[in-house]
Amino acid sequence: MNANGATLVASNIHKAFGDHEVLKGVSLSVARGEVVTLIGASGSGKSTFLRCLNLLEMPQQGELAIGTHKFTFGKGMRAANDAKLALLRRSVGMVFQHFNLFPHMSVLSNITEGPVQVKGMAQSEANELGRDLLAKVGLADKADTYPSRLSGGQKQRVAIARALAMKPDVMLFDEPTSALDPELVGEVLSVIRGLAAEGMTMVLVTHEMAFAADVSTRVGFMNAGVMAEIGTPEETIRQPRSERLKAFLSRFHEAS
Amino acid sequence: MYVWEFAALKPYWGLIWQGLLVTVFYTVTTVVAGLVIGLTVGILRTTAPRWVTMPLRLYIEVFRCTPLLVQLVWVYYALPVLIGVDMTPAMACFIALSLYAGSFYAEIFRGGIEAVDVGQWEAGRAIGMRRGKIFRRIVLPQATQVMIPSFINQTIMQLKNTSLVSVVAVGDLLYQGSVITASSYRPLEVYTTIAVLYFVVLFPLTLIADQVELRMGAHR
Ligand SMILES: Nc1ncnc2c1ncn2[C@@H]1O[C@H](COP(=O)(O)OP(=O)(O)OP(=O)(O)O)[C@@H](O)[C@H]1O
Ligand SMILES: [Mg+2]
Repeated sequence: MNANGATLVASNIHKAFGDHEVLKGVSLSVARGEVVTLIGASGSGKSTFLRCLNLLEMPQQGELAIGTHKFTFGKGMRAANDAKLALLRRSVGMVFQHFNLFPHMSVLSNITEGPVQVKGMAQSEANELGRDLLAKVGLADKADTYPSRLSGGQKQRVAIARALAMKPDVMLFDEPTSALDPELVGEVLSVIRGLAAEGMTMVLVTHEMAFAADVSTRVGFMNAGVMAEIGTPEETIRQPRSERLKAFLSRFHEAS
Repeated sequence: MYVWEFAALKPYWGLIWQGLLVTVFYTVTTVVAGLVIGLTVGILRTTAPRWVTMPLRLYIEVFRCTPLLVQLVWVYYALPVLIGVDMTPAMACFIALSLYAGSFYAEIFRGGIEAVDVGQWEAGRAIGMRRGKIFRRIVLPQATQVMIPSFINQTIMQLKNTSLVSVVAVGDLLYQGSVITASSYRPLEVYTTIAVLYFVVLFPLTLIADQVELRMGAHR
């Protein structure tokens, strides 16, 4: 925990791919137990920013502090090594749009892989943890199944269990329901809702506006690589200030 | 009408058997050496910086784009002159066949590794795994599944290619065939027998390959 009580502090994050500047100084501070949702048009940099929070993307400038892990980026800074990155990522869980389960491992092994291989937990203890987590996401009977036999919604719930198995301080979700058939969205959202109720600190990118309004402590609107507006769901979604956000939200209502 | 007389080969069965053993020996040893070379080169080509991958690429292309027979003869006659050491035919054959196999296996490994979705690397990193571990536990097992059919095909080719060692008088199956023909004057029986022996060794391998391919489909 940081001095100001935040679990995660990202300051002035800059990221460019070649000469395409995708993040132009984005800052976000997330307190313990908060659920921050990021919305914004396609290409506004939501995923890139989220991936900067567990350093799957390396920012070119800025600072990141999560728990006791601190990184400063910029010219002249030594690039963080693989070991230091791995240490940070133990305490940051991530759930991907396309699940990225390990197809050659059973559901249970997918979940125990991290605790056993990264933390050195005994396999029997990890199995117990894995079964508890599977029960929690409603898939107690799928432990020995392979991912290819699961529906999209089930895959995503296993992916959530896999991330939770590392007992992270923060969970990141990048459009966790975008690859799902509409009738499977609900089961995944309800698992995430459950985590929010338990006080899990989360940052999520989603296009599910109603869900965002309902579950978030704050909603941030990203536009062209900056955090254009951020506030309570009431402020951001019900009383947007900028024209851009109004336009974005109205396009949304037309679409849905 | 030609009258087949396989009985004429009776005194030579020992030689044929010996030749078959030499063929199998060269196959096994050069496949193992080729795999070691191929895995190393294949991994380096997917991960190492350019100044490492460029020479490796050159090695692969040289061995893929020249005939194995030329490589064998070159390693036997030209290489000793260049590096000033004597080369036995056996050594030359081992070196050329291993490097040849290595160049093909390297490409198979590289293809298999690159066929694994980057999302798999990311999922491994996201749970705090280090590169080496992700490679060993997540990527390589999946790459192997993709590679097995090409790998078995290449190994079948390798066994057939060992017949070229007879050119530098290494006593493999084909070489013994020519020796036996010279003294028995029975080329039809000799070469038919030899062809059948190659077939008998290789055909089961192709059946295994089919089985493996079927089995692999299991959890997809
Ligand atoms: N690895 C990369 N290399 C080059 N450009 C990239 C890379 N990743 C993202 N970009 C570019 O960065 C911009 C922002 O991408 P990002 O994925 O962060 O947007 P997003 O807000 O998540 O959009 P979406 O809603 O479509 O997921 C896009 O223009 C994208 O093409
Ligand atoms: Mg995105």
